[in-house]
Amino acid sequence: MKVLMCTDGEGYAEDAIRFGGRLAKAMNADVSILHVRPPISPRNRVLLTTARKKLGEWNLEIPGVDSLIRAKEILTEIGLTKTAPLKEEKVSRAFRVDVHGATELHLIGLRGEMVRLRLREGHPVNEILEEADFGDYDLVIIGSRGHKGYSTHFVGSTALRVSDLAACSVLIAKNIKAENTFLLCTDGSRLAERAEIIGAEIAQKMGAKMTILSVAEGEENKEEAMQLTRRADMILSQLGVNAEQKTRVGRPSEEIIDEAKDHDIVVMGASGSSAVKKFFLGSTPLKVIEYGECPVLVVREKRGKISLQGTN
Amino acid sequence: MTLFSKLLEKKWIFIAFAVGGFLLSMPTPEGLSPRGMRTLALLVVVFIFFVTEPIPLPGVALFIAISEVLLGLAKPSVVAQSFMSDSVFFIMGSLMIATALVKQNLDKRIALAIVGITGPRADRIILGLVVVSGLLASFIGEHTVAAMMMPVGVALIKYTHDDWRKIRNLSVAILLSIAYGAMIAGAGTPSGGARNAIMLAYWQEMFDLRISYFEWITFAYPMLLVSAPIISFVLYRTFKPEVTDLSPAVAALKEKVAKSGKMSQKEWLTIIIFLFTVLMWMTISDTIGLGITALIGALLFLTMGIVKWEDLNNNVNWGTILIYGGAISLGIMMKRTGVAEWLSHSFLTWLEPTGIRSGLPLLAVMSFITILMAMVMSSGATVGILGPITLNIASLSGTSVIAAGFITVISSSFCFLTAVASPACNIIYGSGYLKKSDFLKAGWKLIILSFIVIQLISVGYWRLLGH
Repeated sequence: MKVLMCTDGEGYAEDAIRFGGRLAKAMNADVSILHVRPPISPRNRVLLTTARKKLGEWNLEIPGVDSLIRAKEILTEIGLTKTAPLKEEKVSRAFRVDVHGATELHLIGLRGEMVRLRLREGHPVNEILEEADFGDYDLVIIGSRGHKGYSTHFVGSTALRVSDLAACSVLIAKNIKAENTFLLCTDGSRLAERAEIIGAEIAQKMGAKMTILSVAEGEENKEEAMQLTRRADMILSQLGVNAEQKTRVGRPSEEIIDEAKDHDIVVMGASGSSAVKKFFLGSTPLKVIEYGECPVLVVREKRGKISLQGTN
Repeated sequence: MTLFSKLLEKKWIFIAFAVGGFLLSMPTPEGLSPRGMRTLALLVVVFIFFVTEPIPLPGVALFIAISEVLLGLAKPSVVAQSFMSDSVFFIMGSLMIATALVKQNLDKRIALAIVGITGPRADRIILGLVVVSGLLASFIGEHTVAAMMMPVGVALIKYTHDDWRKIRNLSVAILLSIAYGAMIAGAGTPSGGARNAIMLAYWQEMFDLRISYFEWITFAYPMLLVSAPIISFVLYRTFKPEVTDLSPAVAALKEKVAKSGKMSQKEWLTIIIFLFTVLMWMTISDTIGLGITALIGALLFLTMGIVKWEDLNNNVNWGTILIYGGAISLGIMMKRTGVAEWLSHSFLTWLEPTGIRSGLPLLAVMSFITILMAMVMSSGATVGILGPITLNIASLSGTSVIAAGFITVISSSFCFLTAVASPACNIIYGSGYLKKSDFLKAGWKLIILSFIVIQLISVGYWRLLGH
């Protein structure tokens, strides 16, 4: 399993990395940490590269590298990596920039996990998606500020857009604190089933309790919803996970957000809606991410391969 | 879907061509020849390209050359000649010299010299950075100085505090002082920026005026000298640094430079060749041309092995040379086909009701328009497109052509507002320490103040010089 964590150096991103580190440790996953620097005009790329080389001569790093090193320290605190604190000289060498401004540093984890620190340049959403695609990751973990600014309504926050557009599963680590209880949302779709299997696996590895939730849109659908939770429970028990079952009546996104207050992480399948439908109606996962105050794991099936399977 | 979004990305190409085609199909207005009309259409299309950049800027230069031939404005050999001139040699040579200078470790020496003179007080260091960036940029260009001095700024920030977020205001003030100092000085000497060479080419091609290197300095340098204290004062007052005593940073910096040992022979040689080139510019360039002088300097650097050809090949922005060649070529066509004169005439007629006919109010209007244009496109392109028009306006209205040229060139460097408008801001922004909004905070004050300063200089100082 390969996990990509994104940081912009702010506090909420650090919480996301802390969680990602624990997850990677539990799942024995390879980890990459990505920081995206704002783009610069290609006109001055040559001189900017010169200036950055000079920074190297002064043994100085640019702020993006600061964030990456901070993230690496967090991983060490968690006990994922065992490398000694990087010495001044080693950092400047490891982070020597190439012509395209992309830099990378490798570390080896305690149990052989790979940790890579990546620095990219450009628009955050595009670069995160490109890195996720290029590195063939199974899961992207991205922090979110946790409150809605007016800008999210117009352009959508980076986290929201990544969760919508990524080809792999995405975890929006908004207000993430612990991972003791998982809330698994099912609607009977194929992706929901996928989410059940993956959610169960992660919950099991991380030693968390599991609740299955299904939301009926009206009283008349309640029986159907209960059947869905029972089916999910069957899948889970096959995997050796015990779960509590719950059914609610109402609008799915609102009910999920309400129920999530008692849980640490929401797991749900990505919406299968077409782009047009999503544009006009919005999808349930997107609404939960946008209006909820909880971390959400949106599960997707990657084309051509079974995603998110633990390596052992 | 992807094809559609790709076409949408390139929408400005279609819009520009539609506008150009529309102009070509319009009846030719009075006072303009059919050839002039075609040049005007090309000018409008190129203007849209410069502002929206749907294709890389060097591509626009190629577009200019191709269109000039296809629209029948000039023969291929004439177009080729208009692309290359002593001014373009000058741009090319200056870029090569700048590359050779950047390669050396002179930035550490410069940093040491600055803190040696200013001492540890933050306000003095900021003034020192503005002045030194300005002095250097006036000779070797703003973008080179920004690249050279950015590490110095970052070093001062890092040595002051480990976490730069705690001293954000100081960081912004230090880095902006480098960018703004370098920008304001770009017009200080002819070698300070490629747009200066464009103006020299226009004076010579259109009015047969030759301005020597030294004359240029006497005209343009006061702007730098007056602006430097203003910039540092505004930056200091706007950002109010959290730390005012940088003693630990200064000590750390001194220690760092001491580690790198004495100046090497190569570094001395670099400085000697550079000073020799500047001396030649000031003395004999009137006879052999600024461009040829620059090439002598570049050749000396190559011969002495201070810079390898591979370095020049990789680090000189050859596209820039093409862009300026294209801009000058278009300017010359504007003059030859009468477009420049027609536009100037229309502009003066349009301005008539306001009572602005000549002299200082007219120069103020030119300055204002230049500042506006420099905000939406690069300063070189601004001078390239606006230069022929402002010079013709001046000549039609009996205002000094020299003063009009200088006010265009100097005003084109007042793009303090955004991170993308000037190369210096762009490079400093690339350090990653600044937000785009930081440029706005002090930028608007500096635009207003610089506008006032340049008007005062044109009223007082240039009058004294007889223009």
